[in-house]
Amino acid sequence: MKISFTINGTAQSIEIADENTPLLWVVRDILDLKGTKFGCGKAACGACTLHVGGEAVRSCSYAIKFVEGKEVTTIEGLGNEQNPHPVQQAWIEEVVPQCGYCQPGFMMATAALLNKVPNPTDEEIDQNIINVCRCATYYRMRKAIHKAAELQAVMNASTETQTS
Amino acid sequence: MGKSAFGYMFFGFLLMGVVVAMSYPSTKGENLSVLLDNPVEDEAYHKMMDVLMSPRCVNCHPSDNIPKQGDDRHPHYFGMARGENNLGYQATNCTTCHQTENNRYSGVPGAPEWSLAPDKMKWEGLTRNEIARSMLNRQHNGDRSLTELEHHLTEHELVLWAWKPGVDAQGIPREPPPVPLEEYRAAVKEWIENGAIVPED
Amino acid sequence: MSKKRTSRRKFLVRGTLGTVGVLAVGTYLFRNPIRRVIAGAVDSGETPYLGDTSSPIIWFEVTEDNRIVLYSPKVEMGQGTFTSLAQMAADELEVSIEQIKVVHATTASGNMDSFATGGSTSVSSLWVPLRELAATMREMLKNKAADKMELPSEQLTIENGVVSGDGKTMTYAEVAQNVSEWEVPDIPDLKDMKSYRYIGKPIPRLDLKDKVFGAPIFGMDATLPDMLYGAVVRSSAIGAKYIDADISKAEAMPGVIKIIKEPDFVGVVANSLIEAENAKDAIEVNWKVERDWQTADIEAMIAVGQGEPFVIQEEGDAESLLNEEERIIVQEYKSPIGAHAQIEPNGALAHVESNKATIYMSTQVVKITRDEIAERLDFEKDKVNIVPTFLGGGFGRRLHTPNAIQAAVMSKIVGKPVKCFFTRKEEFQNDTFRPPTHHVLKAKLTESGMIAAIEHNVSSGDVAFGSPMLPAIAAPILGADLGAWRGGMIQYGAIPNFRTISWRVTLPFATSWWRSLGLLANTFAIESFVDELAIAAEKNPAEFRLAQIQDDTRGFRLKEVIKAVVEKSGYTDEVIDGRAMGFAASTDANTPCAQVVEVSISNKEIKVHRVTCAMDPGIAVNPDQVRAQCEGAIIMGMSAALFEKMNVEDGQLTPTIYGPYQMALMKHAPKEIDVVLLQNDDKPGAVGEPPLGPIGAAVANAVFRLTGQRLREMPLKLA
Repeated sequence: MKISFTINGTAQSIEIADENTPLLWVVRDILDLKGTKFGCGKAACGACTLHVGGEAVRSCSYAIKFVEGKEVTTIEGLGNEQNPHPVQQAWIEEVVPQCGYCQPGFMMATAALLNKVPNPTDEEIDQNIINVCRCATYYRMRKAIHKAAELQAVMNASTETQTS
Repeated sequence: MGKSAFGYMFFGFLLMGVVVAMSYPSTKGENLSVLLDNPVEDEAYHKMMDVLMSPRCVNCHPSDNIPKQGDDRHPHYFGMARGENNLGYQATNCTTCHQTENNRYSGVPGAPEWSLAPDKMKWEGLTRNEIARSMLNRQHNGDRSLTELEHHLTEHELVLWAWKPGVDAQGIPREPPPVPLEEYRAAVKEWIENGAIVPED
Repeated sequence: MSKKRTSRRKFLVRGTLGTVGVLAVGTYLFRNPIRRVIAGAVDSGETPYLGDTSSPIIWFEVTEDNRIVLYSPKVEMGQGTFTSLAQMAADELEVSIEQIKVVHATTASGNMDSFATGGSTSVSSLWVPLRELAATMREMLKNKAADKMELPSEQLTIENGVVSGDGKTMTYAEVAQNVSEWEVPDIPDLKDMKSYRYIGKPIPRLDLKDKVFGAPIFGMDATLPDMLYGAVVRSSAIGAKYIDADISKAEAMPGVIKIIKEPDFVGVVANSLIEAENAKDAIEVNWKVERDWQTADIEAMIAVGQGEPFVIQEEGDAESLLNEEERIIVQEYKSPIGAHAQIEPNGALAHVESNKATIYMSTQVVKITRDEIAERLDFEKDKVNIVPTFLGGGFGRRLHTPNAIQAAVMSKIVGKPVKCFFTRKEEFQNDTFRPPTHHVLKAKLTESGMIAAIEHNVSSGDVAFGSPMLPAIAAPILGADLGAWRGGMIQYGAIPNFRTISWRVTLPFATSWWRSLGLLANTFAIESFVDELAIAAEKNPAEFRLAQIQDDTRGFRLKEVIKAVVEKSGYTDEVIDGRAMGFAASTDANTPCAQVVEVSISNKEIKVHRVTCAMDPGIAVNPDQVRAQCEGAIIMGMSAALFEKMNVEDGQLTPTIYGPYQMALMKHAPKEIDVVLLQNDDKPGAVGEPPLGPIGAAVANAVFRLTGQRLREMPLKLA
């Protein structure tokens, strides 16, 4: 069947036999966007986290048929070197990653959190950021999340100043 | 007292009881329980309650704001909880993982409107009679009338999910409730038609 | 730049463990003293670099835009090695850190590592060789510049890869242009530590941006045109032997290219991963399973006294002193089977052509993997090229990666590149686990409350034995598994009588290297026991230890970290406001580390609020990354101490998914982790593993002060 959707701002249309194929494999193997990772395939580790309609979704447990007409954002679309997302900027400033494999999932989950809760407390971070990091970089992540909130606030303030 | 006198008195009390029972409204008001024992309703009642007390139902009617998982009813992994609106936390909510259908690759169950039952509908740890009374209590049951309650129990997609609960993370099919769907539906209808009577404790 | 060379100077490579073992064969009769000497050498962690360091031009490449590519024979798995190596190279090469790019050396690049990336040895083993190579390369470029610029070499200066002299300049790129022959000079003197720009500084990781912007750098990200997807059927049962398989249903499934039926495995190659997995599920395999193992079976096997004992440390006469019945304190401790659970599963992308094979994969053992694939394919070794990728977690899991063989076989059969990875369940059930352990510790105190004698019995499944990294001859020579007893020796050398006995048990499932090896379990047991002794002696735990450490360099370094952590943490034995502190210390491969934790209890849940860590890794090439390793290792050690446990149920290793295999999450991470780094050695030592040692006992010791419950079994659970 044919599925049409937008990914990282670009319209995309794919032909796929099994409409229940997880979005993760469409993103990685058909669209060749490798930033979203496979860790378990059982929605337990969060390495596959991306955004659908701006909401965090674990793509290993999301059938491609549900993506029809929706907007998907992956780590590649969150930001890049020329224009990093505040979360990515904070991750760089705090030197968070070690092996780095789980990090895109964490950054996507964090970006989704900051969309809803611009200035999360430690408790809100603990409740919402439940991905697994085996290198256990959580200590720096927590600092980076608070920093990202600050960077985002500054960014929003300056955007408001520009548009007002 | 002679046998026949006792018999007349017994019949008299029975009649009085029926009159008293019939004078209670059965479709409106707060408490729809009736203090009469009827074996036919009991069978339907127990079939219905066997279903509603199974893990497929009670797991999402927790008493501690934490959804349960599996037949062993362990707390949902990763600290998932009710959150503010029965949908989990702000950015990591039910629909981050649970979609409108079961997912056979991940073993994550799914159905439309997947969420926790509201706190007022907490069932975990209650007896079947307590659950039944709670269901009939319009302050607990989302202000549903008996007809609306029957519809919810027999037609709501999230409720019906229990009979097609999909496979778990190991690929093993989940246990549906102990009564087949049509039998359960018939039991619910019968129980309600016969006055939605909850037995005495 | 050409890779030919004219003259060559051979660097002396010191002997491997295998070499020492071979030497010891002739003196097998005197094996106890020999074993203890070997054990002492291994315990000090001095591991030489085992690869070709004869010529810089197989290590470095000068690009046209005047950058340097360093081919790293050590793989990057998060431990920050690439960045440290770049710092070391940049400082001697006289280039800026921005000019250096580090890539993984393939097995074809000439400087292949014959050992492995692991054991916290990458920076320590390359500390001298890599700087010498970089310095030699600098001199080669300088000498060639002198030729081209027609100036004496002594008149030239170099800055950021630009050679200057007498008003003229030449970039390294210009120097290297059109040169096909290089004279390799004698190794120049290395620069003074004080003059280093980068070594010792907290340079941001070189791979930071790739990892933050989602670049496709991991094994699982590798792609080739026309690539197909493979899946191999694996049994869930321990010890299952493959007999045969019914592939009829699988053959008919959508997307299937071929069902692979080999004598030792059956699998499928398909057009997509999902199609391969679906077809795999349709293959019916006949397995032969001898026995349905249970956790109780394993625990019975592991008990001290069941395995084969080897005395690996002995001073004085602990044996007789502790055979007396009076005033002997005896305790037992246990640790469970631990899974690696690294987030990137194992797998490989194999491209096998008629006369060569290229394998893209995450591995810690490039040489062993190459050799195993060459043997299976019946290719010459130099026809198989392993191209390492960034690892999504190593932790010792990838110190044996034979799964690449199956990908290679499948590729050879279908004539196209095949990508084949474990599912998460397979990753759990085919892990080479951290073995379970059982410890019995005995001690006797003197009248004045010091330790008169102490004995540590550690019984463990194998760690090193059975790994392809060790020659087969090592097991009978060494007797005791050097990985299992790592961290198990008594480190308080002023105690007059002590003894460590290692009991070797071989379990029915694979056990091997898990970050820090035996250090985690051994330190938990010893440091909990020493805490119990300190309490029995009514002494402050830190001072109790300080008083019993010997006066030599090793002892000095351990004392300094203990003093540092006590001062930084404000360590106290008292319970204040529902919080208590716990102390523990260990020495791993010459790096001492002491930790103090601050703990509270809430609804029987142990909460760690703050960890103070003092460590002396010698020279910290990148202090920020050393800190990062401490932070991560502390939380990983905490995860093992508080949560992680594998079971054996009806013949299967379980659980097989995150969640049921409980691990530390964000909410468990301490709010404060303070790392104090000391430097009491003149070279870089182990960093990645030592901080895993103290955390378990530190937590258990704090919990005891809070609750009066002495928890002697990991994962720690309050009654």
